[in-house]
Amino acid sequence: MRQALHILRKDVRHLWKELFAALLLIAAFCFVGARRALWLDVPGTERTAAWTLVTLLLPLSWWILIARLIHEEALPGNSQFWITRPYDRKSLLGAKLLFIFVFINLPMLIADVIILHAYGLPVAAEWPGLLWAQVLLTVIFLLPILILSAVTTGFVQLLIAILVPCLAVLLVTIVGPDLVLALPSGYGWINSYVAFVLIAVAAAVVLIWQYRRLGTALARSFVVVAGILILFGAVFFPWPVAFRIQSWLSKQRLDPSAVQVSLDSKNSWLNRAAVQGDGDVLIELPVAITDLPAGMSAKAEGFSLELRAPDGTARLVNQMPLNYLSEVNQQFSVKAIVDGAFYRTFKDEPLALRAKVYLTLFGNRQVARIPFGNRLAPVPRVGVCAASQVRDGHSYFVVCNSPFRRPPVMVSFSFVEFTDNTLQNVWTALQTSAGISYSPLPATPGLDPVSQEFTLSAIPVPMSGAVVETQEPLAHIERTFQIANLRLANLGQRALSASR
Amino acid sequence: MAEVIRTVSLVKRFRNTLVIDHLDLHIPEESVYGLIGPNGAGKSTTIKILVNALLPTSGHAELFGRDSRTLMPEHFTQIGYVSENQQLPGWMTVDDFMDYLRPFYPNWDDRRAHELLRHFELPPDRRIRELSHGMRMKAALASSLAYRPRLIILDEPFTGLDPLVRDELIEGTLQAAAEATILVSCHDLSDIETFVSHIGYLDRGRLQFSEEMASLASRFREVEVTPATSFPPPRLWPAAWLNAEHNGAVLRFVDSDFDQQRTSAAVERLFGNEVHVSAKCMPLRSIFLTLAKAGRKAA
Repeated sequence: MRQALHILRKDVRHLWKELFAALLLIAAFCFVGARRALWLDVPGTERTAAWTLVTLLLPLSWWILIARLIHEEALPGNSQFWITRPYDRKSLLGAKLLFIFVFINLPMLIADVIILHAYGLPVAAEWPGLLWAQVLLTVIFLLPILILSAVTTGFVQLLIAILVPCLAVLLVTIVGPDLVLALPSGYGWINSYVAFVLIAVAAAVVLIWQYRRLGTALARSFVVVAGILILFGAVFFPWPVAFRIQSWLSKQRLDPSAVQVSLDSKNSWLNRAAVQGDGDVLIELPVAITDLPAGMSAKAEGFSLELRAPDGTARLVNQMPLNYLSEVNQQFSVKAIVDGAFYRTFKDEPLALRAKVYLTLFGNRQVARIPFGNRLAPVPRVGVCAASQVRDGHSYFVVCNSPFRRPPVMVSFSFVEFTDNTLQNVWTALQTSAGISYSPLPATPGLDPVSQEFTLSAIPVPMSGAVVETQEPLAHIERTFQIANLRLANLGQRALSASR
Repeated sequence: MAEVIRTVSLVKRFRNTLVIDHLDLHIPEESVYGLIGPNGAGKSTTIKILVNALLPTSGHAELFGRDSRTLMPEHFTQIGYVSENQQLPGWMTVDDFMDYLRPFYPNWDDRRAHELLRHFELPPDRRIRELSHGMRMKAALASSLAYRPRLIILDEPFTGLDPLVRDELIEGTLQAAAEATILVSCHDLSDIETFVSHIGYLDRGRLQFSEEMASLASRFREVEVTPATSFPPPRLWPAAWLNAEHNGAVLRFVDSDFDQQRTSAAVERLFGNEVHVSAKCMPLRSIFLTLAKAGRKAA
């Protein structure tokens, strides 16, 4: 420990400029972040540009600091002065990790506490989020640069090591933009955590190996393999598996027979087969979800679909939900793209369709009234909310601040009029389920310790307050349905010919 | 005498290049051992394996009877290592560097450290990166002698130094490390011949010889053979005769295993007894050049 502190003192002495810049940026982060909380009271304090700049510069300052710190006693090579001195390698690693903890994690923890307090969030109740946010910050922002610094000797090598994976991601984005740029789903956090676990494991292996053995060649090979696995883990982790993990984490276990999914015969006018520009055919089928338990609503998350021709030829389609599922008032339709050759060959044949739909069931509805007047009111499962009338007299807004993540519940905002404590008028403003994350963990990736939901509505009648309604995701289930004799040629002929 | 350094069938390959080829090196305690050889002979690689900066491909090296791969920090408190291409923390001043290293060594001697700085005329407030190459070497050496190491390893310490600085380094090392074992690698014997007690010659990763200096000087002779009549060169030479030159009338060679009687007998066997043989002592620099040339020819 004594040696670790001795090395730490030396690093502080040498890297004081970089350290000062990083601490100054954390102070700026804290100041601008806390000032943003005041924007309701003091218009013009939401300095978005300053905030954006600080959140961009902050990681950059950490990366420079960490790279310089590790390169102080560079690990690759055999001519560094320290390798023939009585350095205890554990103390050396300890000194570097202690430096990062003391000068990055701890100030960020304090900054988060100050920002949460400024937003009126109860700091004492948010320790799990505060600590988990530091874990995520370490895994996402600090460990990757720590790994790369441990296998490089200086900035040039490090820049190459950073650019290569960036180019790889760019290549994947060009080859398969849908894979990288797909919108996040509620269980997308599992993909992220697969990557985070891989980063943490890779960091542990590389750092222990490098500081114990100085085996740079093997460590570099490991980093390349780990990088590929992390990329694949984040991008290619199959969503049905992620959904199954999410299902295993469900708060409630439901009787599988309770909820039914079938082809929605009442809305058969929605059936459609449309030829795309590239010759492939988009098939759209309406789906009905029935027999939901009382007080529950469903959200379709994704589906897989198999079309099998009489001769055994089959097409399997796995679709992410957001681009290929429509949802209006609990009416769903699934959209699948099948290749043009299959369509032309079998459009008049009776096909067997087998589909599996992945659903999230919401329930346990709770309502909180927020009186107008800019006063923060605690809303369970959300954080704190405030509502007010805008000066023009016809617009109202409601804003909710949640610590470290978007609320893990579906949130709806309404403006209401009460007379003698009786509800007279309801104006539904917004329902936010698209960006929900089903992660059970108290923080999501990102630097901002506060997530904000905000809605502004122009309402022609006077309102007296706002209502925040929450519904909890209780279960994640899979349901299958089959159609025996589906003829693609019979689907939406008009749409098909119109597309042509 | 106990051995401070021992290598056993040490092999080091870099991909397909064999740099050290089954090296068996033995360095006795309190000796000043000069490891010489041409550039690329494997001297620095051997030394880096000794201090665990490189791992051997096979075989092993021992320091103080311990496998070099298992050297612990406490062992490095007994080892002083200075290398020509060592990367020192250039941002530190000479004083900072000494102050920084002090807590690492329980046997650090402040008075000795000051004496060394004074002896080497090192400016204490000057940053290391602002020092000349010679001054940097002195700073590295001072920082490696201040804790009275039992073993001092100097890897090509005199490369690029003027004779004055070289002599200062040698003098400083010998004064400060009277009871230490010293291993010094060099590609020019003349740099070290005045102070080494033992010498080893490494060529293409193989140890050609390793012996005391007195023994080396006594077994190398420049021999000139002048027969009464001209003669053709013999087909087979004794292996110990190096760099033989023959101009029809005179034969010159270096006998690397000289013994008056044995050499004369070998000459008579090859050229008859009507020859004149003269043998001259050789300076160590000439011995080194002979060995280097012979090695190149063999290659």
